Amino acid sequence: MKTSRKPTPFRLARHGHSKGHCLKILRRLSAYLDDELAPGVCEEIRKHLGACPNCEVFVNSLRRTIDLCRHVDAPPLPATAKARLRSQILRAAGRS
Amino acid sequence: MNTHTQRPQRRDSTAGTASNEGPDTAVFDRLYHDHVDRIFRFAQRLCGQVDDAKDLVQDTFLNAYRGLKHFRGDAQPSTWLYTIASRACIRMRRKRKGEPERELSLDEFIPTSEGEFRLQIPAEGLTPEEALANKELRGALQQAIRKLPEKYRLVLVLRDMEGMSAKEVGTIMGLNERAVKSRLHRARLFVRKELSARGLGQSTGSTRPTRLSHAG
Repeated sequence: MKTSRKPTPFRLARHGHSKGHCLKILRRLSAYLDDELAPGVCEEIRKHLGACPNCEVFVNSLRRTIDLCRHVDAPPLPATAKARLRSQILRAAGRS
Repeated sequence: MNTHTQRPQRRDSTAGTASNEGPDTAVFDRLYHDHVDRIFRFAQRLCGQVDDAKDLVQDTFLNAYRGLKHFRGDAQPSTWLYTIASRACIRMRRKRKGEPERELSLDEFIPTSEGEFRLQIPAEGLTPEEALANKELRGALQQAIRKLPEKYRLVLVLRDMEGMSAKEVGTIMGLNERAVKSRLHRARLFVRKELSARGLGQSTGSTRPTRLSHAG
């Protein structure tokens, strides 16, 4: 639920590191979550996440998004619809 | 030019019922029997609507039927069908909208405030299955995916929903792996932002998880 509260300005000093570092991490988060980065880079990212609550929340929400996508199911096509579609395809193929 | 080395093989002895309609129909029936469920699932994830998904399945298998004699067998039949379906999907969209697709820039997903960093996805603390039992969240996710420009949606659906590798997605879409990963990252960031910006997510700054009631 949204509130009418104004967004808090992004204060870099609070985390004691540069904004550039956060952005560098954010650009690589999919590769990080897909385990595609070298161990040293992963270690560096983990270290950053431990020290930066904003990036930690961001990565968790991205991980959550991916998890949800992976679990969306889709109902199967009923047998009658399958047979009907097959007939329509063969009919259309016969006309071409 | 390669010659035809392999046509879709029959994996199940119960497959195919209309071999009396001609040799191509028998091969088609094997292909249809083995892959229609998978392609229909893919089509639903892409289109969101059952009727659109059926149209896409019909278009895909009609094109497959017409292309059977050109199928060289150097790809898995499923990969070949995904490729046909992906092209059909792009074609169908162009016919409807007739406008060029929007590019997603990484910059539009880079948070500019602490609040944007802290956007969260609802129903934190539930398993994905439990969370998706919530109609509102499921609908929001499907809508976010539908809002993605086609070329990003295809990558997200193939990679994160159909579970393919970046290499397989690249083969299907005619892209190198780097381009697949780049599109995937943008697509995921888009869906994250859409999901958390729909009023389902938390208010800025809060760290308490939002739980939605199960609406079926």
